[in-house]
Amino acid sequence: MAPIAPFNAAEISEKARRDLLLLLEGIRGKKNLVLEKGLAGSLNLLVKFSTLQEYGVDKPFFLENDNVDTSQRNVVFLARGEKAKTVMAVADQIKRLRRDSQIEHEFSIIWVPRRTMVSDQLLEEAGVLGEASVTEWPLFFVPLADDVFSLELDDAMSDLYLRKDPTSIYLSAKALMAQQQKHGLFPRIIGKGDNGKRLADLLVRMRTEVAAGESSDNSGPSFLGLTPSSTVDSLIIIDREVDFPTMLLTQLTYEGLIDEVFNITANQTEVDSSVVGGAPPQPGQTGSASSSMKRKVLIDPGDALYSTLRDSNFAVVGNLLNKAARRLQSSTERNQLAAKSTAELREFVAKLPGYQAEQASLKLHTSLAEEIIKFTRTDIFTRSLEVQQNIMSGADPTTQHDTISELIARDIPLPTILRLLCLESTTNAGMRHKDLETFKRAILQAYGPQHLLTLASLEKMNLLQPRGGVGLGTTPAAKPGSVTNYTPLRKSLRLWDDEVNEADPNDISYTFSGYAPLSVRLVQSLIQKHTLANLVKPSANPQAPAQANPLAQGLRLFDDAAKYVRGATFDERQAGAEKAGKARSTLAGSGHDKGKTTVVFYLGGVTRAEIAALRFVGGRLREGEGEGAGGRVVVCATGVVGGEGLVGCAVEGGRFKG
Amino acid sequence: LHGKPGISFEEIARAANDEGRVRLATELLNYEPRAGKQVPLLLAMKEDTIALDKAIESGDTDLIFHVLLHLRKKLPLASFFRVINSRPVATALVESSALDQDRGLLKDLYYQDDRRLEGSNLLLTEALSQASLAPALDKLKLASKYLQDSRDAPSTFHRQALDETAKLLRLQEQFEKDLSPRDPAAAVGTSSFPGFLGLSANETIFQLLRQGHHKRAQKIQSEFKIPEKTYAWLRLRALVSARHWI
Repeated sequence: MAPIAPFNAAEISEKARRDLLLLLEGIRGKKNLVLEKGLAGSLNLLVKFSTLQEYGVDKPFFLENDNVDTSQRNVVFLARGEKAKTVMAVADQIKRLRRDSQIEHEFSIIWVPRRTMVSDQLLEEAGVLGEASVTEWPLFFVPLADDVFSLELDDAMSDLYLRKDPTSIYLSAKALMAQQQKHGLFPRIIGKGDNGKRLADLLVRMRTEVAAGESSDNSGPSFLGLTPSSTVDSLIIIDREVDFPTMLLTQLTYEGLIDEVFNITANQTEVDSSVVGGAPPQPGQTGSASSSMKRKVLIDPGDALYSTLRDSNFAVVGNLLNKAARRLQSSTERNQLAAKSTAELREFVAKLPGYQAEQASLKLHTSLAEEIIKFTRTDIFTRSLEVQQNIMSGADPTTQHDTISELIARDIPLPTILRLLCLESTTNAGMRHKDLETFKRAILQAYGPQHLLTLASLEKMNLLQPRGGVGLGTTPAAKPGSVTNYTPLRKSLRLWDDEVNEADPNDISYTFSGYAPLSVRLVQSLIQKHTLANLVKPSANPQAPAQANPLAQGLRLFDDAAKYVRGATFDERQAGAEKAGKARSTLAGSGHDKGKTTVVFYLGGVTRAEIAALRFVGGRLREGEGEGAGGRVVVCATGVVGGEGLVGCAVEGGRFKG
Repeated sequence: LHGKPGISFEEIARAANDEGRVRLATELLNYEPRAGKQVPLLLAMKEDTIALDKAIESGDTDLIFHVLLHLRKKLPLASFFRVINSRPVATALVESSALDQDRGLLKDLYYQDDRRLEGSNLLLTEALSQASLAPALDKLKLASKYLQDSRDAPSTFHRQALDETAKLLRLQEQFEKDLSPRDPAAAVGTSSFPGFLGLSANETIFQLLRQGHHKRAQKIQSEFKIPEKTYAWLRLRALVSARHWI
């Protein structure tokens, strides 16, 4: 029996799908489904709507719209049960339906991922608990691609950093725990950041809880023998807080830019139909001829063309598209010419659908790329990129102030400005008091006084603060580890690379055309230390890489760097409860740690450029000999996000009205 | 017994509690690793703060909320605040849930904790949700007053900003009255009259310039000390959009 690879995308989505369909089956007859908006994306990735229809779903509604109709007897709510607000929304709608409807309804609530005590309590107080059957759908990781798993917690960032609400840490721990129960303990949990530390502690704690749950009455499969996994090498936890700048920068990979321009949610993006054109609106909907319609486009990780494009620097996408077009053209043409015998002709016809799909995808990505080029050619884009690159390469940030002021005066979108200012503040451990006040004033005058709240939120998130951290919670000024210090890191981890090669990248810095994401560098310092060491000090010992010492994983490179990075550093080893000694000896003894998976977990979200960089690292592992050869890197995160999302959760939406 | 798996300390402790030996039960519960079982029993034994601590330790926000709700009902507000005060996680959770549901509670919390900036921000949020100007201005005044006693730099800045906001809103109201479409002079250039209320200072200048009220625009500039450079950009953009080429 071949060992099942851990973090198998198909397996995880299959299980989630089965769980949900079973729940739906349990509710007899036709039903109306009321869905929390935040869950729609994940649901869409897991189950086709036609499948839901087969299981008796008549019409879907969004919980937020509050417009469930009374057409069906059964009403099923599907929502996240962690937030009191959502619970109240469900309760209110049940009450509304009960009041307005002629018929008696059967209510079912499916909480994702679990039924909480608080939700019960709130429903009870609202007087609706009695007439709803409550179940739970343990949905944790949603596979976005074969190597990307996301919890799709949209609020994780504002919860963690703005409201300091640790719910997402707990859910992450649960999700990782579920994987451990299936594939064995992570032999090593290593990471950086205060919230990351909390997550690691929770994982250890949950292990003892599982062991304690093993009392006589529990007849489930024994977890007591939970031993270190033989397929997973380690879990690396990176707290987003450790490295905000990477998130604030404009991503320069193709997928990253699609996200910047069009915004990707759950592998889907909305594009103006005038851009994509061609594809007809839904058959039967002939009336919708309005040109400003948005169309949903699936960004499919399975698409062969897209998988070559997505992680490339945008500068070379044009070339790649061109090449693909040439190849497609030549293959269809030559085949047409050569197809003389009927057998050859038949073969060609059999391949036709494949060509057509390829052509459609080529057309889509060409128009997307064109649109992105339009965006990147604007003056505003180049100016802000210039500021970003100057700050990241270590220029004195005060030299950039004129440009930023000008951009504010030109009324470019607020998030862009905030990203630049936060970038300066986070890379330089705050801003000079006088400058900060000038900028604050400028923002209030340009974008409205309501942003006094925005600025306060940013300060609370430690994104924009006066130097020395006079901010709200961080009164002990400049405590070591309280902020990430980029000045020494830039050198010791080689965060800035002037000779970046975008067409044929030799380092992860290609994802930002020069800047190597700190978070990925930290990962590299753990799993690719020799490569990194050579990169930092190329001349030192050119022959070193092949001889990796499996025991020296605790590694100086990481420790040195970790000193300058904000938050706690931790390195936890997990051994089996009883067979610990034996397990350890087998681990150390047999040197075949080939083909092991390294799980990188981003707490608080990961950007697409970082995913691309990690894929690059993973690709090197797979091909390379030496350290961790044949390994696989899997990216997990609470969500996939961009800088817009980060500052977005701070931006105040309200404004004064007359 | 310690270290042996499969023994439920919860059950033993429950038995001890039933016998009336609360101290012993509490003691025993320390060995129970499953917080989900520990906390409810602690609550039943009225060991509230211990329950809260254990819930926080477990990291399970559901449990923490559960204890918090329980405490909130049981304790007078002041002592409830005292309990959560020293526990940042609990405070954060109370804050974030109150933000959606119970603004009054939040106001009291900030007041008792002397977190003036946040209290004032709360009032600002309320000002934003007012449907008309007069109550919004009242809230702003309150928010500013809230900061009156603190002298540190952030509060001073905040207060200044709040006062300027009120001033801007009043000016905008004035403009709307003076320049509304019934006024024949203003109706000429623009087909649809854009309101002024709620715009930022820059946007106000932009609109004024677009409609050709240069005097008033300059007044805003000097009133709010808008830098020359910004003003130049605003002028340029406004004139272009009004197609007044110069």
